[in-house]
Amino acid sequence: MQELTLASPGGAILGLDAVLILLSALACLGSKLFDRYLTYYALQSVLLAVAAATAAYLERDAALWVLAGLTLALKGWAIPTAARHWLVQRLDLKRDSGTTAGLSLTLVMGTALCAFAYLAVSPERLAHGLLAASVVPISTAVVLLGALAMVVRRHRVAQLIGWLIMENGVFLGAITLTASFPLIVEVGIFFDLLAGFLIMLAMTTGVAERVSPLPAGRSGQDS
Amino acid sequence: MVWLPALVAALPLGSSAVAAFSVRTRCAALAAVAGAAGSLVLAVVVATLAIAGPPIASAGAFVYVDSLGGFFLVTVAVVVLLASLGSSSYLAAEERSGQLSARRVRIYFGAFGLFAASMLAAVETANLGLLFILVEAATLASVVLVPLEGRTEGLEAGWRYVIISSLGITVALVGALFLFYSASALPGGAEAHLAWPFLLAHAHQLAPTALRLGFLLGVVGYGTKVGLAPMHTWLPDAHAEAPAPASAMLSGALLNVGMYAIIRLLAIANRGLGTQYGGRTMLIFGFLSVLVGVVFMIRRRDFKRLFAYSSVEHMGIIAVGLGFGGVLGIYGALLHSLNHSLGKTILFLSGGTVALAYGSRRTDRLGGVVGTMPWTGALLFGAALAILGAPPFGLFISEFTIVRAGLVGDQPWLVALLLALLAVAFLAFTRTVGGMLLGAPRGVHREPYHGAREHLLAVVPSAVALVALLGLGLWIPSWLNSLLTQSVALVR
Repeated sequence: MQELTLASPGGAILGLDAVLILLSALACLGSKLFDRYLTYYALQSVLLAVAAATAAYLERDAALWVLAGLTLALKGWAIPTAARHWLVQRLDLKRDSGTTAGLSLTLVMGTALCAFAYLAVSPERLAHGLLAASVVPISTAVVLLGALAMVVRRHRVAQLIGWLIMENGVFLGAITLTASFPLIVEVGIFFDLLAGFLIMLAMTTGVAERVSPLPAGRSGQDS
Repeated sequence: MVWLPALVAALPLGSSAVAAFSVRTRCAALAAVAGAAGSLVLAVVVATLAIAGPPIASAGAFVYVDSLGGFFLVTVAVVVLLASLGSSSYLAAEERSGQLSARRVRIYFGAFGLFAASMLAAVETANLGLLFILVEAATLASVVLVPLEGRTEGLEAGWRYVIISSLGITVALVGALFLFYSASALPGGAEAHLAWPFLLAHAHQLAPTALRLGFLLGVVGYGTKVGLAPMHTWLPDAHAEAPAPASAMLSGALLNVGMYAIIRLLAIANRGLGTQYGGRTMLIFGFLSVLVGVVFMIRRRDFKRLFAYSSVEHMGIIAVGLGFGGVLGIYGALLHSLNHSLGKTILFLSGGTVALAYGSRRTDRLGGVVGTMPWTGALLFGAALAILGAPPFGLFISEFTIVRAGLVGDQPWLVALLLALLAVAFLAFTRTVGGMLLGAPRGVHREPYHGAREHLLAVVPSAVALVALLGLGLWIPSWLNSLLTQSVALVR
């Protein structure tokens, strides 16, 4: 992946894909509806799967095909579907009003973080025109945007989605920079992501409370 | 020999399985203790092998135990054993009083085993990717423990814990990515570029900017787990709200696991960037943590929160030791992490007994604990003295070593600042805990434990740890000394 230039067909697809991933992160940051958050996250994950598949095709790497399939199935479908069913519909979430910063300010901060990512993360060893040289700042920007979403939004579901976006940013970096981490590491990260999602899901919906009912007056239902 | 370290982590995993399928909670507790005891014995064997010979390693450093790993392995295993013993009495008392359902006790022991297993495994790997996975797994398993007592604050604390830790640990993964990238021009496959021994051996050839970024992100990321300020905000809530033995695990073991990751990264940075860069980074985070810990210890009324802020302070001291560097600084920092683990485990376990007996953690509602609960009170008193660095306990020696490292490194002002902060900590801590232990009797006391077995389980682990802490203040066994000196040689 290191020698891949932006001018080559594969490089062009990956570069475009990365830009779209960044845009979907920004779109999520600029939205106020829970349903949209999930739509943009699902879209971003599908784009990530496309990136992994492109890299797999270029590298002829079976591990990357596995990664692409896992990304599509888990992040593109299972997690958004589960979140939509268990969180958005069950808790009847519509508009996210629990933010510490206004929408326009959030977007300005997001843009500033993108600029910061470009200025701070210049891949010194890579010549201009190489794919990785342009994608590393993008993936860093996606990570920062996810972190920003976690910081400015107070609602648990919004924070959860911010974390998922951060994770996507890391994966984008891993795919374009180095083709991939060793497969065992990739799968392990997926497993953690899934477990983390389930735990956060349980804590948000209060399933943890229903698992074993407490004596009256002691149960703490949160919102 | 790779199966031996694998077995260390597999034993607590087995106890998790027992907890999931056992009908009686007592079986689950018994399995947790048995698993922890087996792990400790094996951990000592593994560490001894690591001292005597080359590191026990698999390809790609997925399993890699050198003396540094062995040292942390033994530390974590000791805390896990003490906490599992404490858990069996604490949870039994909570179940009897109706505070926890039998099902929750089983969930506790299930998560406890997973938590212990992932921590033990984390210090047995030197693959930066796998390290991330295991630290995150430990976080997730421990998150289950925090809200178990069912208070609203507990759920709130659990959420804050999982969200801040996941954010932090993802930053650490980005750091690992940059380190991976800094090695990309070197020969060797993807597995080698994530393996710590490879990165250390080729530290000079790593791309400096990427290495610097990777190190910083790693320190911030794993620093979130360690509780270094300003990433410590999850720590006091989680430590205060978790069941007491789980707090002991968080403070005594999990913080050390995070520190282990930072030390591995520091070793690479020291070799690749020179010791000044890494040292200065550790000093900044270290002093900030000591300062934050000490300031928030003043007038703290919830004693578990007080202990939690004291953990922030002590992690800061360890970071300062690493920052001073040199043989003395690193030796002192490592020794301090062992001492702190023992001391904090006693505080949380005995503190848990007090909280059970009085039904409160507020020091302004408690008084004269030494009079009503002589054993627990005495243990708390001893451990409080130890954690404050009073001689002749182990923490005195390790803090003294760190101070000497600062003087040898010609940084007298920093040493003076550290000593001043420690003095404030001493006053704040004794004011709160002293009144609770020695003052006039206050609060309604009700014996939480039934029968000799539960009483012994509640007292003996802490007593043994206190004796060990006293011993470490007077004499460092040659086995431990060689573990430490070999570790220092790896990090310098």
